[in-house]
Amino acid sequence: MRSKLFRTLLVVNLDQLLSLSVGFRRNQPLPAPAAVASILRSKAIEFLEKWNTSFGIHYRQLRLGFDYLKNTLRFQFPNLQANAARIQQERKEREMRSKEILLKKFETLKEKFSSIKEEIQSTMDEIRECLDIVRPNDESFRSSELRQIRLDSLKEAEKVHENSDNKVVFDALRELYKLLVTRHLVSAQEWISVLIRVEVADNRSRDSMLKEFIDIRNHIQSVKKKCEESGCALANTMNDEEEDFWEEGKIELSESDSFTAANKRSKDLAKASTSSKAKSEAPECSNKESNGNKRPGRESNESDSTSLRSKLLDEAPLMNWGSFLDNWGSKQDVLANQRGLELEGHWGRVDYDAVIPAEKIAELNIQTTVYKEERVDIQPCRAPLSKGGLCQRQDLRVCPFHGPIIPRDDEGKPIHENSSTEEITLDLGSDLVEQLAKQAVKNVRDRDKEETKKREYDKQALKRAKLAKVREHNEAVLREAAMASTSRSEAFGEDLGATNMDKPMARNKKQTLASMLRKKITTKDRLGQKLLNTRVRDETIRQLTLGEDANYREAFPNQW
Amino acid sequence: MWKDLGDREAGKLRPYSFSNRITSDRIASLQLSNYKEIVSPHRGAVNSLQVDLTEGRYLLSGASDASAAVYDIQRATEYEGGSLVAKHKSIFVVDKQHEHGHKYAISSAIWYPIDTGLFITGSYDHYINVWDTNTTQVVVNFKMPGKIYRTAMSSLATAHMLIAAGTEDVQVRLCDIASGAFAHTLSGHRDGVMTVEWSTSSEWVLVTGGCDGAIRFWDIRRAGCFLVLDQSQSQLGRRPPLLERSAANKAPMSKSLPASQSVNVRPRAPQKKFAYGNGSKQSATGRTSSQAKGLVRQRLHPGMLSSQDRATAHYGAVTGLKVTDDGMYLLSAGSDSRLRLWDIVSGCNTLVNFETVRLQASKAMQLAITNDSALVFVPCMTAVKAFDVWSGKTAMTFRGHYEYVNCCWLSLQDQELYTGGNDRQILVWSPSRLNFDEVDHGSRKEPIHAQDQDNWSD
Repeated sequence: MRSKLFRTLLVVNLDQLLSLSVGFRRNQPLPAPAAVASILRSKAIEFLEKWNTSFGIHYRQLRLGFDYLKNTLRFQFPNLQANAARIQQERKEREMRSKEILLKKFETLKEKFSSIKEEIQSTMDEIRECLDIVRPNDESFRSSELRQIRLDSLKEAEKVHENSDNKVVFDALRELYKLLVTRHLVSAQEWISVLIRVEVADNRSRDSMLKEFIDIRNHIQSVKKKCEESGCALANTMNDEEEDFWEEGKIELSESDSFTAANKRSKDLAKASTSSKAKSEAPECSNKESNGNKRPGRESNESDSTSLRSKLLDEAPLMNWGSFLDNWGSKQDVLANQRGLELEGHWGRVDYDAVIPAEKIAELNIQTTVYKEERVDIQPCRAPLSKGGLCQRQDLRVCPFHGPIIPRDDEGKPIHENSSTEEITLDLGSDLVEQLAKQAVKNVRDRDKEETKKREYDKQALKRAKLAKVREHNEAVLREAAMASTSRSEAFGEDLGATNMDKPMARNKKQTLASMLRKKITTKDRLGQKLLNTRVRDETIRQLTLGEDANYREAFPNQW
Repeated sequence: MWKDLGDREAGKLRPYSFSNRITSDRIASLQLSNYKEIVSPHRGAVNSLQVDLTEGRYLLSGASDASAAVYDIQRATEYEGGSLVAKHKSIFVVDKQHEHGHKYAISSAIWYPIDTGLFITGSYDHYINVWDTNTTQVVVNFKMPGKIYRTAMSSLATAHMLIAAGTEDVQVRLCDIASGAFAHTLSGHRDGVMTVEWSTSSEWVLVTGGCDGAIRFWDIRRAGCFLVLDQSQSQLGRRPPLLERSAANKAPMSKSLPASQSVNVRPRAPQKKFAYGNGSKQSATGRTSSQAKGLVRQRLHPGMLSSQDRATAHYGAVTGLKVTDDGMYLLSAGSDSRLRLWDIVSGCNTLVNFETVRLQASKAMQLAITNDSALVFVPCMTAVKAFDVWSGKTAMTFRGHYEYVNCCWLSLQDQELYTGGNDRQILVWSPSRLNFDEVDHGSRKEPIHAQDQDNWSD
C-alpha cells in the first residue's frame, strides 16, 4: 500500500480482494486448510483496518469495505488505533498522577526543609564530635598495642572495642553512623530525585533547595567516609558478629550460645576453633560488597576464588549430555521453519517471524529423570562363626542367626560406638566447648551418611519415639544453654553428655533439630546481610550517577 | 473540452450539442465519489431512490426497515478530513416510530413530480402513503389488496394526479391523490405486478411488467391494454426498415441499409445494427412479414386477441422497466437475467444483446438511463453496469456495494449516479473532478493530499 498507483488500482476491486482474503461471502469461503485460512482472515482484517486509518479518507472504497465488514458483518477488528489511544491516555494519566504526587512531596518538603536540614546537621555534628573524641584515642591504641594482632585477625579488633574505655563513644558513633547511612543519606537521595523530577512554577526555589540537598548529601558522604576511615573497626565489628552467627550455623546451637557468652573467658579456645575461619573471613570483612557469606559449610583454608568455584560446583546440577547443552541458559527465541527447529543446512526461505518463544523452548528442554534406586551397601553380618571365619550374610537390619547387625572389628567383636564417644566426651569434659565443636564438625561431615542410615530405621518406631525425644532434647538444649555461662556447666555437661548420647539416634535427632533452629536464624541473618549489601551497592551506584548529574547540572545550569 | 469550448465560442458548435457533449463526457467518467458521501440512516436494504424532478436537489430513499429519508445532495451537512469528504446526512427520516409510518419494508418511494411538497411511499404493509414533506405527515393513504412492489407517477401529467401501483394482486390500480380513491383498476396480468412505468411521451400511457413475464401497455382512457410485448416478435436494430415494409417482403437486409440511414435521426445506429444483427439475419427477415401483419391487427383491435394476450416479454418475472427519455424505446429487465430493448412504436424486441451476467431475480429493480438514451445503468448483482443502449456492450462497471444492488438513479442535472443496495449504503458516483478544480484549491489541500502520495521511504 505504499504506492499511490497500487492503491488506486487496488481499491477499484476491493470487494473482490476482500472476498478472497477475508472470505466474507458465504458461497465463497476461504480455501482449506482452516488454520491458514483463519490466519489469512485475521491478517486481512488487521491490514484493512490499518489501510483504513491511514488512507481511508482518500478512498471511499476502503471506507466502504471497512464499514461493511465492521458494521454489517460485525467482524471483530483489532481496533489498533483505539487501543493505542487508550494506552496513551492511561500513560498520560499515570504521568499526571505521579506529577501530582511529586508536587505534593515538594510542598511538604518546602515546609519541612529547615527541620530536615537541622536534623541532619545535628546528627553530623554529633558524629563529628564523636570522631573528634575517638580518633586520637583509637589511633594511639591501635598503633601502640594491637596493630599487629589486628592485621592478623579482626577478632582482635573487636576485642579492642569491647574492652576499650571509649566503648560508649563508639556505641554512640555506631548508632549515629547507622542513622546517617540508613536514614539521612537515603532521604537526601530521595529528596534530590524528587526535586529533579518535580515540575513547579518557581524554578528558583527548587534549584536552590536542590543545590542545598546536593551539598548536604556530599557532606554526609564525606562524613561517612570519615567514619569509615576512622571507625573501620565498627563497621567490621557489626559485620563480624553477624558473620559469627552465620558461620556457627554448622556447629552446634549450644556452642554458639556459649560461644558469645564465654567470649571473654575462653578467647583462646574460640580462636582455636575458628582460627581457620577467621583467616578467610578477613578479606570478606574488609570487602563488604563482595561478601562471600554463602560459603559452603566446610572447614577449608581455600581462598575466596576457589571457594566460589567450589560453591558453584556444589550448586551445579548434574546433567546427562545432550544437544540441549549447546544453548544452555540462552534466553533467545528460536527460529522455526517447516523442517522443525533446525536452521543449519536449511537452504529454503527463512521466516524471521516464525519463532518459538524462549519460554516454550525452556518447556521443551525440561529434562526427564529416571528414578534410580539408591545403591545401599548392605553390610555383612560379620559375626564370628563357630567353624571359624565371619558370617557373610547380608541382611538389612537383623541377621537371622546373629541378631541385629552392628559394626564389628576384624575378629567379629562388636564395637561399641556410643560408649566410645561418650568416653571421649567424659574425658574431655573440661573442654566441653571444644569437644562439642569437634563433634559438630564430625556430624556435619557425616550428616549425609547418617541421614541415609536414619532412613533405614523403622519409620514407625521413629515416629513413636520422636515426640518424646524432641521434648527431651529441647529440654537438654535449653538447660545446656542456661548452664553454659555458669561455672557449673562443666559438671552438668557430663551428665548431659551421658544422657544425650545414649543412642546414636537421639543424637542424630537432636542434631537435625538444632540445625533446623539454627538455619532459621542464619537465613534471616544472611538475607539481612545480603539486603544490606545490595542496598549499599545500589546506593553507591545511584550516588555516583546522581553525582554526575549534579556535576553536569552545575556545570551547565542553563542547559538543564 | 477546450476545443469544444473554442468551437462553441466561435459558434461552430450548437449550444445544445455542446452541453450534450459535456454531459456525456462527464457521465463517461463516472466513478465512486470520494468527496461526496450520503450517510444512510437505513438499517435495511435500500429499495428505492429518486432525486426530485423539479430542483434536482433532494434525494428520497426508501428502505426495507420501513424507513424513508430525504437528503439534500447539494449542500453537505458536515465535512470530514479537512473538508475533503462532504457528508450528506438525511434531512428527515420517517420510519416505524412515526405514528403513520409503514409497518413493513418500503418498496417504492417517489416524489410528487410537480414539486417537492409531497412524496409517495408504497410498502409491503399494503399501504400507499402520501406524505407532506414539510410536516412529514401522511396526507392521504390508500389500502391496496396486497404488497406493493412499485408505484409511479407520470412526470408529464397535467390532467391527472394518479399513482399507478403494482402490487401482489393481478390488478394494477390507479390511485387519485385528488380524490383519495382508486380511479382505475387495470386487469390483464395473470400474476403480481412487479413494476410500473409511465410513458414519457404521453401522459395517458402506462407500462406495467408482471411476474407472469408480460409487459403491458395501457391507455388509461380506454378499457384494457392495447399492447402486450412479445419477445418472439423482433426486429433488427432500432426501427424496422421502412423500405422493407413497404417494398417486397424478401428484400435483403443489405439493400435496406442506405434507406434506413436516411430515415434515422442517428447516423451511427444502422452500422451498429449491422454489426450485431448478422447472426440472426435469416430468421429475422423471415419473420418480418408476420410481425408486420400482427402489428396491423393489433392497431385495429386494441387488445384482445387471446393468442396475443398471452405473449411474454421475459421468461419469468419482469423486474424492471425504463422508458427512454424520448418515449420511443423501452428497456426491460427480467428474472431470466435478460435485458431487452423494445421499440414501443412497433412493439418489437430489438434483439440487442446486453452483456448482462446475472440479474437479481427476487426483487423489483430500478434502472436508470441517460438523457440521450446512450447508456443504461442496470444493477447486476453487487455491481451496477452501464450498457450502451444500442449495442449492448458494457461501457462501465461500478463496483462498490458489497451486497446486491436494488436501485440506481441518475441525476441528470449533476450527472451523478446514486445507487442503493442490500448493504444499506447509498453510494454516490460522480464524474472525476476536473483538474482545474484541484489547481484552484491545490495550495489549501496540500497537507491532506500529501498523505496520499507514494511512500517508499520509511
